[in-house]
Amino acid sequence: MCASVKYNIRGPALIPRMKTKHRIYYITLFSIVLLGLIATGMFQFWPHSIESSGDWSVEKRSVRDVPVVRLPAESPIPERGDLSCRMHTCFDVYRCGFNPKNKIKVYIYSLKKYVDDAGVPVSNTISREYNELLTAISDSDYYTDDINRACLFVPSIDVLNQNTVRIKETAQALAQLSRWDRGTNHLLFNMLPGGPPDYNTALDVPRDRALLAGGGFSTWTYRQGYDVSIPVYSPLSAEVALPEKAPGARRYFLLSSQMSVHPEFREELEALQAKHGESVLVLDKCTNLSEGMLSVRRRCYQHQVFDYPQLLQEATFCVVLRGTRLGQAVLSDVLQAGCVPVVIADSYILPFSEVLDWKRASVVVPEEKMSDVYSILRSIPQRQIEEMQRQARWFWEAYFQSIKAIALATLQIINDRIYPYAAISYEEWNDPPAVKWASVSNPLFLPLIPPQSQGFTAIVLTYDRVESLFRVITEVSKVPSLSKLLVVWNNQNKNPPEESLWPKIRVPLKVVRTAENKLSNRFFPYDEIETEAVLAIDDDIIMLTSDELQFGYEVWREFPDRLVGYPGRLHLWDHEMNKWKYESEWTNEVSMVLTGAAFYHKYFNYLYTYKMPGDIKNWVDAHMNCEDIAMNFLVANVTGKAVIKVTPRKKFKCPECTAIDGLSLDQTHMVERSECINKFASVFGTMPLKVVEHRADPVLYKDDFPEKLKSFPNIGSL
Amino acid sequence: MQPCRKSLWLALSASWLLLILLGICPLFRLAVPPKPPPGHPQGWPHWLDAAFLSSFSQPGEPPEDAPQLPQAPRGSSCSWGTCFDTSKCRGNGLKVFVLPLASPTSEAPQRILASLETSGYHTPNTSEACLLLFLPSLDQRGVCQPLPPHWSAGKNHLVLSLHPALCTHRGQVMVAEASPSADIFRPGFDVALPLLPEDHPLQGGAPGQLQQHSPHSGAVWLAVAEERGGWRIAGIQDSACPWDEHCDLHPRPQQALLCFLRTQLGEMLPNATFCLIPGHRPATSHFLQALQAGCIPVLLSPRWELPFSEVIDWTKAAIIADERLPQQVLAALREMLPGRILTLRQQTQFLWNAYFSSVEKVIHTTLEIIQDRIWGASAHSSLLWNSPPGALLALPTFSMSPQDFPFYFLQQGSHPESRFSALIWVGALGQPPLKLIQAVAGSRHCAQILILWSSEKPLPDRWPKTTVPLTVIEGHRKASDRFFPYSTISTSAILSLDAHSTLSTSEVDFAFVVWQSFPERIVGFLTWNHSWDEARGGWSYSAKMANEFSMVLTTAAFYHRYYHTLFTHSLPKALRTLVDETPTCVDVLMNFLVAAVTKLPPIKVPCGRKHPEPAPLAPGGPGLGSETQPLGQDCINRMVAEFGHMPLVSSRVRLDPVLFKDPVSVQRKKYRSLEKP
Repeated sequence: MCASVKYNIRGPALIPRMKTKHRIYYITLFSIVLLGLIATGMFQFWPHSIESSGDWSVEKRSVRDVPVVRLPAESPIPERGDLSCRMHTCFDVYRCGFNPKNKIKVYIYSLKKYVDDAGVPVSNTISREYNELLTAISDSDYYTDDINRACLFVPSIDVLNQNTVRIKETAQALAQLSRWDRGTNHLLFNMLPGGPPDYNTALDVPRDRALLAGGGFSTWTYRQGYDVSIPVYSPLSAEVALPEKAPGARRYFLLSSQMSVHPEFREELEALQAKHGESVLVLDKCTNLSEGMLSVRRRCYQHQVFDYPQLLQEATFCVVLRGTRLGQAVLSDVLQAGCVPVVIADSYILPFSEVLDWKRASVVVPEEKMSDVYSILRSIPQRQIEEMQRQARWFWEAYFQSIKAIALATLQIINDRIYPYAAISYEEWNDPPAVKWASVSNPLFLPLIPPQSQGFTAIVLTYDRVESLFRVITEVSKVPSLSKLLVVWNNQNKNPPEESLWPKIRVPLKVVRTAENKLSNRFFPYDEIETEAVLAIDDDIIMLTSDELQFGYEVWREFPDRLVGYPGRLHLWDHEMNKWKYESEWTNEVSMVLTGAAFYHKYFNYLYTYKMPGDIKNWVDAHMNCEDIAMNFLVANVTGKAVIKVTPRKKFKCPECTAIDGLSLDQTHMVERSECINKFASVFGTMPLKVVEHRADPVLYKDDFPEKLKSFPNIGSL
Repeated sequence: MQPCRKSLWLALSASWLLLILLGICPLFRLAVPPKPPPGHPQGWPHWLDAAFLSSFSQPGEPPEDAPQLPQAPRGSSCSWGTCFDTSKCRGNGLKVFVLPLASPTSEAPQRILASLETSGYHTPNTSEACLLLFLPSLDQRGVCQPLPPHWSAGKNHLVLSLHPALCTHRGQVMVAEASPSADIFRPGFDVALPLLPEDHPLQGGAPGQLQQHSPHSGAVWLAVAEERGGWRIAGIQDSACPWDEHCDLHPRPQQALLCFLRTQLGEMLPNATFCLIPGHRPATSHFLQALQAGCIPVLLSPRWELPFSEVIDWTKAAIIADERLPQQVLAALREMLPGRILTLRQQTQFLWNAYFSSVEKVIHTTLEIIQDRIWGASAHSSLLWNSPPGALLALPTFSMSPQDFPFYFLQQGSHPESRFSALIWVGALGQPPLKLIQAVAGSRHCAQILILWSSEKPLPDRWPKTTVPLTVIEGHRKASDRFFPYSTISTSAILSLDAHSTLSTSEVDFAFVVWQSFPERIVGFLTWNHSWDEARGGWSYSAKMANEFSMVLTTAAFYHRYYHTLFTHSLPKALRTLVDETPTCVDVLMNFLVAAVTKLPPIKVPCGRKHPEPAPLAPGGPGLGSETQPLGQDCINRMVAEFGHMPLVSSRVRLDPVLFKDPVSVQRKKYRSLEKP
């Protein structure tokens, strides 16, 4: 029966027994159902295209189709712009609320076409660059489409070039934005401000409290800490690829490539050229070129024609003169070519000067001193010039090369003002990647000898060697500067001995029980550690005398940023195997100290636990080995300094020391340790360990001096 | 048929149901304008015709063709380019003429004047001066001393008022005043000074109070500046708010608790991790207190310009936050990583010690900033200003490359070079130190040998043949000659030697390898120690063997070439004169200088055989007594007076070769000759 239904669906031929009336009825019905199903199927299988076709109307549209907004002639105009605005007066920081990621949220108004009462457009709808800029913001982490959560608003009204907008009407368009509120928290981007005849150095469009990211600010219009000075984007950045050129002396010492230079400046430049000959080249626009040639990409000197901007790579210094506007796109071209800009534009606020250190990449010369430019530049040492060339190119790569770079740097600057405690540092803004990679910033950089009264905390990691542990506790407690003793009980299967059984010592003794038997427990930054100095000591190190330990603490005080330890070790490059090798023999050098007995700053415990690179920490815990090598790597990497080995060599009870006893060398142990070094070096991406040839002894060690008058007589006894 | 039809109906209605269920949603979606699914930002549209959009700037646009010449700056505002004439300052750097004080009522300006006169900036000659300095003071009636009338229009004038805004002069005059209001401050022209307390020491000054790098375990988390001048401490409770007003506004139990918990600390400096300082100007005096105490200043929307903000990167030492977001600021402080706290704390101390601890430092910093503006490209870099030892001790005249200084190897990721120059001083009756020359030339690290001939005897015609170049410099028989930055010195490391010194090649090699690890310190063999002599009520020093030392004799020591430049160009003239008069003091002075810069003790390395006697350098005559008490005990006290404090730091450590006197075969040891008795 039911099979017949199936057949029925297949077609009318299979239901011949039905009446024709019924048949037509059913056929129609089924066709409708079938069509319906097919249509549904299409909806279901094309859901994305349908949804995006819904979005399509927003996303894949033509700029020409955007909604038109008619501005009545009498609609309000914002105030001109408040020169006294500062972040704490004109910026509504409450809108930025608390953001755990310390990142502002930026909203972009949707694109509209504004026309006046007569239907004449207020401006070109949007320029290519402004579209790129808004796309960059929209693609960034800053973007939000929720206007209620936004902290910063970016209108889609394009004012990059003041000449393309009608000032009053644009201002009216701004004023009618839904969250305008006197321009509070609104950000406008403008690269070409002012217009004839007086060429103001900031956008003339009245904008009330809105922030202005402007190219070509002067000290008179720039609101320090409120506006952002941005570069004038050079379209050549995208058109012409100039490969990076190694710094060094170039064919021309000083080059002027701008086409429209004020006659007075040109006179000065030509005087320089006349005086210094070939090393100075002053170019002008080409007048005798045939129509077809791109005059923007050509420069001429007399009858010589040069390619621009390629020519810039032939010069060490390039003049960036003020034109009608202070900000010039040539600055970007010059930086791209790795030519050091010589900025001659009084009162010009250089791009991103709030964060970029232009002294490192440019020379600023007052207009008055233009005739001295040559001698000023000649007085700069060659090494510094090369540094500046490198820096110039890096600035271009990081902050000039694309509209996106400019937009993101601008938002980062505003972000840093709102969340100053999470701000990007001077070094991050200014140091080229190569310097960032090579430089070390020691977390304990202040030269300081901590007071002796502070004392140290001894941390003993133990599993079950109670007897040996108690001996260590007794020995260590004799050290005068010990202020606390912490036993890290790493055995989960066994309880530590009862309190009454522990040795009675003069300082507090605390036992910390761990959740897991891991080696990294020894380096955990326990709250119980109240001193800066930590002595990590194994539960079998009983051979160190009180004098030796006290002296070790004194050495740590003089070198608080280093690992100060007793047994020293060395890493060597094995030329045969082409890898690192661990060495525990009597060598003349040390690069590591074992943490079976070592003093170090407690901050390194924090670093070990929370900032150890890669998977080293887990690797150590899994292999139950090399936690000391990891600590040596960590400290050397972060401080850039070598360890200090204290006092003469002693017999230590440790696996590799058997070699010294003349017994068989534990080969597997050495292989494992070597493996650790190679593993860690690959994780760190470098070999941070430093090799030194010295160790620390008391001043009078083995000197011909009465023993009883020495501060640390009992040192070095085996 | 009937059941078949029934089932057909069933199938039909089921299909219809399916159709409706499936169909209605898309239809509904079509009917309602599309909304992006939540969580997926819609973003800026990708225009179909984006590629056809025109650029914002059209090449060959008219403006470029219509250049204009300068519009005069609007208003009376001045900037460096327009109101300072650098042409007067060419050549010999910044020379300052101080306008004589008309009728000084207090002692302070007189002392400042005196200190300026001894500094390298001072010139008694107006025509030579590049900067004219005026120290305003109050007369008996508390009225501002007027500026000389011709001043306000003249260029290159600086009014330096250490106390806030008593006398405001603007116009073309540069103003250096304490905590200027951000509204009137002209960046790049005026200089912002710290608000110094009345009794701020003129010289030296107390060092920062931080004794350890990380916060004390018992330290208070937050201290809040009181308007009346003291500090109160706040607890660490979550969501507790340290602002008075807020506490009163929202008297929730927890906050009330906090408000009652607070303790009046009076004028005491806080032992706290963070110091909250409100933005209004009266609170500026707290800023310096916090800085000295190593308490990280948290400035809430300061309405005043931070001191020396032109050169000091305050984000490295303080938190500048918005006062309108108190909860966020507190949350950010609570969540601050320990590493950041460490760095900020240390930076407060460095800045305090380098630029703020004395009136003299504040004035020198001001002048150095102005000098930097004159120098332009060859000024101190930001690194020099913002890392130890600070710009006053890192002279850009020495080099423009940080890696040439002994202080920045780590930041630059570079290493000290592996060669040194030996500088041998031949004193009055000296003989050519042939043996010493051979021993030094034998070192594989030696790049050159320089003989500083200060003897009255004629120069010998022949010098021993050495593998390294040997140069003879004729000295002027002055002790300070020893530390003159001779241009012939080609390496950054100098081995300073006296003709009487006896050193083996092995000793030289080892000491040099040690120096490479400590390029900012003096590394030497013979040591002295200083101590406070209760009986005499002064400092004294001794050459006796002791468990401690604080000075290394420069008769045999490695140090960085830069210290010659510092010795000659930054020490007060009085000290160099003192050394020339009492040559035995020269070692002490060099040790003072290096210790004042590094704040660290020198490094002692072992010397193999016994040296004849740890004799001080005495080029003046045969005064090399064999007594262990060095000569010229008084110079140490005069130097302490000049420096304003005792910079020497003691050490109890000697750095020996790794296998020094260890019970292993001598054959294994690299520096075996060090162990010969």
